[in-house]
Amino acid sequence: MAASIREGRPGELLLEGVLDHACGSALRARGHELIAGSQASTLLVDCSAVQRSTSVGLSLLLCFLRDAKAAGKSLRVRALSDELRQLAGVSGLSEILELD
Amino acid sequence: MSADDTYAVELKEVTFTRGSRTIFDSVDIRIPRGKVTGVMGPSGCGKTTLLRLIAAQLKPDSGQVWVNGRNLPELSRADLFDMRKQFGVLFQSGALFTDLDVFENVAFPLRVHTKLPDEMIRDIVLMKLEAVGLRGALELAPDELSGGMKRRVALARAIALDPQILLYDEPFVGQDPIAMGVLVRLIRLLSDTLGITSILVSHDLAETASIADYLYVVGDSQVLGQGTPAELMNSENPRIRQFMQGIPDGPVPFHYPAPDYRTDLLGGD
Repeated sequence: MAASIREGRPGELLLEGVLDHACGSALRARGHELIAGSQASTLLVDCSAVQRSTSVGLSLLLCFLRDAKAAGKSLRVRALSDELRQLAGVSGLSEILELD
Repeated sequence: MSADDTYAVELKEVTFTRGSRTIFDSVDIRIPRGKVTGVMGPSGCGKTTLLRLIAAQLKPDSGQVWVNGRNLPELSRADLFDMRKQFGVLFQSGALFTDLDVFENVAFPLRVHTKLPDEMIRDIVLMKLEAVGLRGALELAPDELSGGMKRRVALARAIALDPQILLYDEPFVGQDPIAMGVLVRLIRLLSDTLGITSILVSHDLAETASIADYLYVVGDSQVLGQGTPAELMNSENPRIRQFMQGIPDGPVPFHYPAPDYRTDLLGGD
């Protein structure tokens, strides 16, 4: 499954596929467009369809958090995989990404 | 084809010679996936050569080197370049670029192997430096770092591309006890939490035995023994026992072969 990000319900961003170094740049640009264009004041990034991820996945979430902050919106992360949670833990990002 | 997904790396009947010297003579080594495997043996026995064979920096004279289901000696240069992204290597010297600061040293593989924008490269570099406890040192030059800090920056660089396999070449050499303890904890953490397969070449018995799930002892161009640290500690094999217990004389003699001492000193009859 090719990696992608798209809008589901209003304010809901669906992140999907294998998040690696090859697709990071395109996902980052697309996510920026979606956040800028969304009318919702609260955004939710749903990661339940992420199959695998490198650190690129965490960087994307950080990019989207910065975009949301710059646009005066709030952003939350939903359904992060155990793999990414572990990586976030080792990288000291659990609190910043507000993971449980 | 590599038969078993249990192993991240398999060497099958690998022979490697340098000039007239046989470094490995038809050795078989299997590295379990997601575990820490130590490769030990006396200095000069070919431990670093083994890492270089696994990292495809050297090609064996014969035999197969399977990494994640691909036989390295059969790959093209382009495939090997791609394959190397799966490896992180922590060199014995640290091998930091002295003209780049800490940040750019860690960013280097990301700039070479990816087209990520600067913003994402910065995120990943900060994540890796945070993991090794040196995020605050990102603007320092390598010559401003202690030996232990250099090794940790090198480790951050080695994991920048999220490798599946990490190769450590004598990571504990020249480290003080605190730096050594930090490294031991980091190596174990990366393996346990991220499932990285770690291959650690060392002659530092205590540290390696404390960290490894499995050990190989190599010497005399062969695998002398293998097992858990506890199994090797209790081995009946005199060569392994000599190495594991640090006995100065034994099957590996203390004295290099020499003519008769008396004759050397007093002359012959």
